[in-house]
Amino acid sequence: MGTPLIVVEHVDFAYQDTLALEDASLVIQEGDFVGLFGPNGGGKTTLLKLLMGFLSPKKGKISILGRPPQAMGKQIGYVPQHLRFDRDFPISALDVVMLGCLSKLTWWGGYTKESKEKAYQALEKVGVSHKALAPFGTLSGGEAQRVLIARAIVDTPKLLILDEPTSSVDPAAEQSIYNLLVELNKTITIVMVTHDLQTVLDKVKRFLCVHRRVTSFQTKEICEHFALGLYHTPLTSTQHFSF
Amino acid sequence: MLSFTEALTHNPFLLFAVIAGIAASFASGIIGSYVVVKRIVSISGSIAHSVLGGMGLCVWLKRSFGLDYLLPLHGALGAGLLSALLIGWIHLKYREREDTVIALIWATGMSLGVIFLSLTPGYNVELLNFLFGNILWVSRQDILLLLGLDALIILTVAWFYRRFLAICFDETQAHLQGLRVSALYLLLLSLVAISVVLLIQVVGAILVIAMLAIPAAIASTFTFRFSTMMIIATGLGVLFNFSGIYLAYQWNWPPGATISLVAALAYTLSLLGKRRA
Repeated sequence: MGTPLIVVEHVDFAYQDTLALEDASLVIQEGDFVGLFGPNGGGKTTLLKLLMGFLSPKKGKISILGRPPQAMGKQIGYVPQHLRFDRDFPISALDVVMLGCLSKLTWWGGYTKESKEKAYQALEKVGVSHKALAPFGTLSGGEAQRVLIARAIVDTPKLLILDEPTSSVDPAAEQSIYNLLVELNKTITIVMVTHDLQTVLDKVKRFLCVHRRVTSFQTKEICEHFALGLYHTPLTSTQHFSF
Repeated sequence: MLSFTEALTHNPFLLFAVIAGIAASFASGIIGSYVVVKRIVSISGSIAHSVLGGMGLCVWLKRSFGLDYLLPLHGALGAGLLSALLIGWIHLKYREREDTVIALIWATGMSLGVIFLSLTPGYNVELLNFLFGNILWVSRQDILLLLGLDALIILTVAWFYRRFLAICFDETQAHLQGLRVSALYLLLLSLVAISVVLLIQVVGAILVIAMLAIPAAIASTFTFRFSTMMIIATGLGVLFNFSGIYLAYQWNWPPGATISLVAALAYTLSLLGKRRA
């Protein structure tokens, strides 16, 4: 067992009166590759925001490497869905990656030479260095998603968080993105929101179901539950669910 | 009638007008690019109109109480910054009602301006100038202030270029990287307010939004580099101002409206050209 990277203990979170997470606990070890799933509105996004320090728990405690998430932002690489972005925004793929180096700006507000080199290397690593100078908005879905992954890893974070990285990406590109993530997982811990459990079954190491509470699954447990077409936490005798 | 170039050398007002137009073009090209990509055109419109309140207040204080050192520009700057910060604060705290508040500030500023001007003793030509601009009224004093504000905008943007780009493209990422996203947003809105003040001299409060949005919007169809977009937009601004003033001189049209019309025409042409391409 490695050292725990993320520890979430009995966390409650509510938006005004709507409870999003209740008594959520989880531990993620360094080197893990976790698939996060659950119903819409089940609290996945809230959990990610808590991990990234954008929200603070109403109750309970979250620590990343023993420190509060707010202090660990630079240790986290975040990959949003590429569809969120304005395709007309005048920015090149390389400049998008450079946004991952913002914490290392010089006093006059420029990027260092080292940052530029790292950005190129990150693009090479994800396999789109030939598109470095292409406008971000002209990239295919798969390429754009890879550029966002490059941005997330350029500053060598400890944790990579991805929000459905393959939504609106064609199946071939999807497989190669997952293979890339498996490769990256050799050095980085990954937490990935996913809806397509079957596709990622042989990629991730385990699953967490977020449905107000958080439940851990081994990948071998997931098939039968998924076959039911239901997102639910284990059917233990003490819990009842209605859908 | 003198030819335009002769008039330019003989008539300091015309020369000042051209200089003010060029100074305003830098503001519209640089800050306008942010306004377009950050999609804060309506916020900028609100700041532009609310500025009237400050101008009215200054004119009223000046005439009624003999505070001669006050220029309408001072009031515009104060009111612009105030409404920029107010809108920014609303955006950060109460996003749900943002558009209502933007409209509210828009209307409040204008109403205050009209009321202050009506309270001011004497015959008022100011209102029309503030609303539609009168670039031929720009004084030497105004020019110095305009150039100073231009320098402030250029230096600030040079320093914060990457950071502003970051908050325009992806606030979440900027936040994770430890940037003070809210402070940067307020700073950007303050620069918008300063640009508005520069542009009001040329085209007036109502037409400011044309000069902020149009050059940058046209420039964005030519390039995918943000810095290039700023340069092209500035160039277009100079072109629109110069040709607008030229045409206004030839036909004896109001300069502000002529400049805006030239810009709008160019935008329409660029849209047609884009569709064909």
